[in-house]
Amino acid sequence: MSASLYKQMMKSNLKSIMSFGIASAVYVILMTSLFPMISDNIDKIQELTAIYPDSLKNAFGLESFGTYGEFISAEYYGLFFLFILGIFSVMTAIQLIAKLVDRGSMAYLLSTKVSRAEVAITQIAVLITGLVIIIFLNFAGGFAAGELLIDDQYAIGMGDFFEINFVGFLLFFAVGGYSILISSLFNDEKMAFAAAGGVTFLFYALDMAGKIVPDLDWLRNLTLFSLFEPAKIANGDVNVAFVSVTLFGLGLLAYVATVFVFRKRNLPL
Amino acid sequence: MITIKNLTRQFSNGKGIFDVSFDVKKGEVFGFLGPNGSGKSTTIRHLMGYMKPQKGSATVFEYDAWSEQAKAREHVGYLPGEIAFLDGMKGTEFLDMIAGMQGKQDKEKREELIRRLQFDPKTPIRKMSKGMKQKVGIVATFMHDPDIYILDEPTSGLDPLMQRVFVELVLEEKDKGKTFLMSSHSFSEIERTCDRAAIIKDGRIVTVKDIHELQSMQRKLFDITFFNPEDVEAVKSSTLSIEKTDGNMVRIEVQGNYDAFFKELANYPIKNVSAANQSLEQIFMDYYNAEEVNG
Repeated sequence: MSASLYKQMMKSNLKSIMSFGIASAVYVILMTSLFPMISDNIDKIQELTAIYPDSLKNAFGLESFGTYGEFISAEYYGLFFLFILGIFSVMTAIQLIAKLVDRGSMAYLLSTKVSRAEVAITQIAVLITGLVIIIFLNFAGGFAAGELLIDDQYAIGMGDFFEINFVGFLLFFAVGGYSILISSLFNDEKMAFAAAGGVTFLFYALDMAGKIVPDLDWLRNLTLFSLFEPAKIANGDVNVAFVSVTLFGLGLLAYVATVFVFRKRNLPL
Repeated sequence: MITIKNLTRQFSNGKGIFDVSFDVKKGEVFGFLGPNGSGKSTTIRHLMGYMKPQKGSATVFEYDAWSEQAKAREHVGYLPGEIAFLDGMKGTEFLDMIAGMQGKQDKEKREELIRRLQFDPKTPIRKMSKGMKQKVGIVATFMHDPDIYILDEPTSGLDPLMQRVFVELVLEEKDKGKTFLMSSHSFSEIERTCDRAAIIKDGRIVTVKDIHELQSMQRKLFDITFFNPEDVEAVKSSTLSIEKTDGNMVRIEVQGNYDAFFKELANYPIKNVSAANQSLEQIFMDYYNAEEVNG
């Protein structure tokens, strides 16, 4: 890993990291501050959602809004969070390798004694740092809103909230992993973006299809996204340790493969 | 310092480089000449470890350019042919980053280079002209005092004044015993600095020659205007190669045979002499055509 490269890459990407982080934190704060109102009117809302088919409620986590964990999962972590972090992971992973190769700037990064492996590890570190910052802002936003904006009677399970964020981070640790692996495989920035974006969307769609259509439940075995079930984490129905180790392992594997691929391939620089 | 042996890489479109071999000795400035698309940059990419040779090998400072690429690059200052910087950086930020990666934090040489090339490095790179970007690239290449310089078309985008500054830089480094491999399609740039040059065409080395030999192979055209019309006829029957005549003016083609040229013309009163400018493309064409005729 090269400290100079890391510093400059963080500087170049900080604006985008902060935009994603702050936008999502503001959303979390907003939703959290609405929770007491929802909680007070839970009966009416349940009546409203009762008209949805069960499968749809299941897919979007609308079965129950009773606790903060369930509420924030349905309103944020089940959907918006996935989009924001998905876009960030794919976009940043492509920018960190494929874009530099496509535009030829990689020639400069590989003109010094810093080896290819070190360059790849540095770029991976920038991606992971970005994810950590965004998730941290999410957690900090929810935590601060929970402490400051809401009366104690609407207790927020901070332990559960932390777990949701932690597993959410590991999900995108893995998504970032295969995205940067794809990024290291392509010479063309647009094709790399299409491939990484396509795979991510497919994974998301498989998870959704499996949730909505009970017969297609097996599809969920083919996707990473089924490992992140925020509402179930909030209810304590998930083996967080198992899910975490699986996601971390898959991500790590992808990062190791990225370094290996980037070391061995011909670059059109 | 640089050894290339039977280096071969064929691309899917059939182009590539084939059996390229040459070596560059310590303290030598070696020119690498060829038209666009002839394989200059492909060869250089192998030297920088961006591509794995399909056949043959490239060695830089006793390290294999592919398997020990990082070690080899430690000794190299590289100026890419197409300057593509990172987005949204200032010149100084870019130079700081590269200096950090080179592991040299001494700013003295860098400041001197910036002063000599006369530009403001604090300018955001995306607002820089092509020439200014080239200057940033040159500073990045020279600032860590490498043993070997690999320069891909170094003066493209520089005005004549800055081209001269660049030539001075190269000659100073050469005096310190540094080694250069410089690709170009400008013969005059190579002429002023190089000891030897290789000419590459369609991915194959056509020749590796002393620069003076190459100069003598250059075909030059002289327009000679005579005082007397009858002298035109006399010159026509001499051994000199006449390209065309126009009244009292004769265009004579000279290729190395300067002595015969002057001896013949000394016989006549001359009104005017002018040398037609010859482009590098023309020199290539002459060289290639000569090769085809001879070979």
